Amino acid sequence: MQGFIATKLDDYAQGKISRRKLIDIFMLAATATAAAETAKAAPAADPTLKVALVNHVSYTCPNFREAGDWYSKVFNMTPGRSSANDVVLAFGKRGEKPYGVTANDVPLSHMVIRTRDANTPAAGTQEARRKPRALVQHMGYTVANFEREKVKADLIAMGVQKVRDGGLYSLHMLDPFGYDVQISGFANNALSDGA
Amino acid sequence: MERFVANLIKDFDAGKIGRREFCETMALAFTVYAMGDAANAAPARGLQGLGINHISYNCADYKKARDFYTSVFGMGVVNDKGKDRANLTFGPEAGKGGNFLVVRTAETTTDAKATVDHIAYTIPNWDEAKVRAALKAKGLANPTGRDGSLHVYDPFDYDVQFASAAQENAFRS
Repeated sequence: MQGFIATKLDDYAQGKISRRKLIDIFMLAATATAAAETAKAAPAADPTLKVALVNHVSYTCPNFREAGDWYSKVFNMTPGRSSANDVVLAFGKRGEKPYGVTANDVPLSHMVIRTRDANTPAAGTQEARRKPRALVQHMGYTVANFEREKVKADLIAMGVQKVRDGGLYSLHMLDPFGYDVQISGFANNALSDGA
Repeated sequence: MERFVANLIKDFDAGKIGRREFCETMALAFTVYAMGDAANAAPARGLQGLGINHISYNCADYKKARDFYTSVFGMGVVNDKGKDRANLTFGPEAGKGGNFLVVRTAETTTDAKATVDHIAYTIPNWDEAKVRAALKAKGLANPTGRDGSLHVYDPFDYDVQFASAAQENAFRS
């Protein structure tokens, strides 16, 4: 990319192209770069079952309203549909696309925060959901402009409990039901986490 | 962006920056432009959640979970040192909105009074017949749920949902 920029800059410096033309070239290049970044994220092989993003997290607790208020406040989430037993909160506003996604059929990731009996039948069946031998021990969420000390101060000001450092790029805390929540910026990602 | 480019050329013309600095700054600007605006969209007070970063999943054998999620849902594998964990990637590129599932060989009990009882994943370009055929080919012939929103169990009986945007989104009525 720098070679391309240098060539065009030389053309401009030598009077081969106008200032306006140089700006237009760089704007076009910026758009092409953005498009290329998007294309990299596209599935390369058979996309039939290739997951595009987390659709939602199903979070069950003793009081969904209390948890909903907490997550809404801490992450500035957008309320979606709700019922007598649950509330849905989205990351982003209605009509927006998820961060980094250009496809039209990938909705905003959201939380379904609910209160329900552990023996509630699994979706589409009359049988209770199996008892898992696995545990989602914590969830990590990405926030904008993550600066650890500033975020830590904001969380403490909001009354969030047990805020603590988590590695180089993140913070951990507990939600009202003692569930471990991690927050970070984009520096905490699949390549940096656990590397 | 256009104003930024114009000002940078102006600085170059005025001799305020050299050729090298111009090229480096411009290349960085392209990268930032490609990232979009959301990363800087924090509200004036408090935090702005942008999305899921990762899911931390504990089980008795991370390799078994790794093999399931990569085989069935096309996730990629990074940071797998063959010991007790791996990061399984999906969605946009790492650091640019991509999600990852951390599968670990670790404790599966907790003191928390809340639980994440399932995770749902979006499958784009949903085609019911193709999705069901692909599941069958992976040995998951009898998913529960409904068309456009299906459930299966992973090797540790954890409920896994996957869905189309039409059937599962925050604002559906």
